[in-house]
Amino acid sequence: MKPLHSIKVNHLLNGIKAPVLIINPSAMIVEKANEAAIAQLGDSLTGNPLQANPHNDSFTLTSAANGRKQHIDFKSSRVHINRKAYLLAIGQPIEKQHALKLQLLHLEKERSLQEMKANFISMTSHEFRTPLTAIATAVDLLEARLQRDGSMDEFYSRNIGKISHEIFNLNTMLDEILTLSKIVSNNYELNRTPVDIRKVIDYLKYQYFSERKDERTLDVSITGEPRKVLADKDQLSKILTNLIGNAFKYSVKKNPSIKLRYHKHKCVIKVFDYGIGIPARDIPHLFNSFYRGSNVDGIEGTGLGLAIVKTFVEMNRGKIEVSSEENKGTTFTITFRYKDE
Amino acid sequence: MNSTILLIEDKTSLSDTLKTLLELHEYNVLLAENGEDGVRQARLSLPQLVISDIYMPVMNGYELLEIFRKDSTLRHIPVLMLTAKTGIEEINKAMKNGAAGYVTKPFLFKNLHATIRKILI
Repeated sequence: MKPLHSIKVNHLLNGIKAPVLIINPSAMIVEKANEAAIAQLGDSLTGNPLQANPHNDSFTLTSAANGRKQHIDFKSSRVHINRKAYLLAIGQPIEKQHALKLQLLHLEKERSLQEMKANFISMTSHEFRTPLTAIATAVDLLEARLQRDGSMDEFYSRNIGKISHEIFNLNTMLDEILTLSKIVSNNYELNRTPVDIRKVIDYLKYQYFSERKDERTLDVSITGEPRKVLADKDQLSKILTNLIGNAFKYSVKKNPSIKLRYHKHKCVIKVFDYGIGIPARDIPHLFNSFYRGSNVDGIEGTGLGLAIVKTFVEMNRGKIEVSSEENKGTTFTITFRYKDE
Repeated sequence: MNSTILLIEDKTSLSDTLKTLLELHEYNVLLAENGEDGVRQARLSLPQLVISDIYMPVMNGYELLEIFRKDSTLRHIPVLMLTAKTGIEEINKAMKNGAAGYVTKPFLFKNLHATIRKILI
């Protein structure tokens, strides 16, 4: 029996779903074709010279099977069957390959669009800060001049305060949109290092939550044996800035507070406000983007802050919970374990 | 004697206003529009403090910091960075390159002023 006609070779070839040809390399005659090749290219294939000129071990055959013209791309490589050399060519319909190529192209395009979008948002939010800074400084200058000239009165003071306040609101929105766009486009690099949460709180309290006009301050209490927590410092400060900022926003009559408690295996941070509270029906949706409590009329916010907070807490393998009572206040509880499990 | 501050910022709408504001607080203020101009002016006038933007044409704030660090006449002048970038990487990069401090844009003048006073003590 010819080596190519053994049951083993037949079985093997017909088990392959792609068209396969075995070619005599010296005469370039197709010695054998599997069932898939015959179905697609016809049975006149075998025993006849190959109707193509292989180039770089690949060639294309055209089939007219099923009344539809189809090109099949073959890649060949040298094999030995029972010590005799052959070319083994495996084909793939171009249609399919073409579809894959298109799909790849589409994916690449999508990725570059995503990148473009992220870059665009990053660039524009950076560019927006420049005029915002110029406006903020001009407002500061007006205020300083009015004060120097002794012309500052309650009317000027109130309205200048409003402009200034809104400038920083706009800036916060820019920050949130930028952060969310980075999250959505998967552009956030996580850099977890051992962080002393006490230092982050101290820094935030000094940088953002001190010397307030209304003289409210952040009450901080720390208990337990301090330990470092593995977290991304940038994200951790964004988490706390947001929660503390919210607490100041809602805890209008009383100082908001933060309690940091070091347990044996975990560290628990609780941020308290003594404000309007969150209606029970809103709680399940609280961490969704753009969702805002039904009782926040007139209190500014984008509804993005808590969505970002939750994402960051989870990226750092922490847990966030909320408990609230209407007209009493709200508590956000974040838990980080010292070691990953 | 009043301290001299060299303000390096390419956006004149900001630098003009900030100059007037600083002058209201009794500082002498010199202006430069980019890092290169800033280095030239710093060598001429040896200010007590440089306030510099990071992203500017011709020479950016990081390059400016590097020149200040390597130049024995400029090395002792503190450079305070004003940056619209709020990412911790940019801030770390500036601090590692020898910045005396940073303030993120937009800022409240009272915060900038508090930082200036802290550096000039």
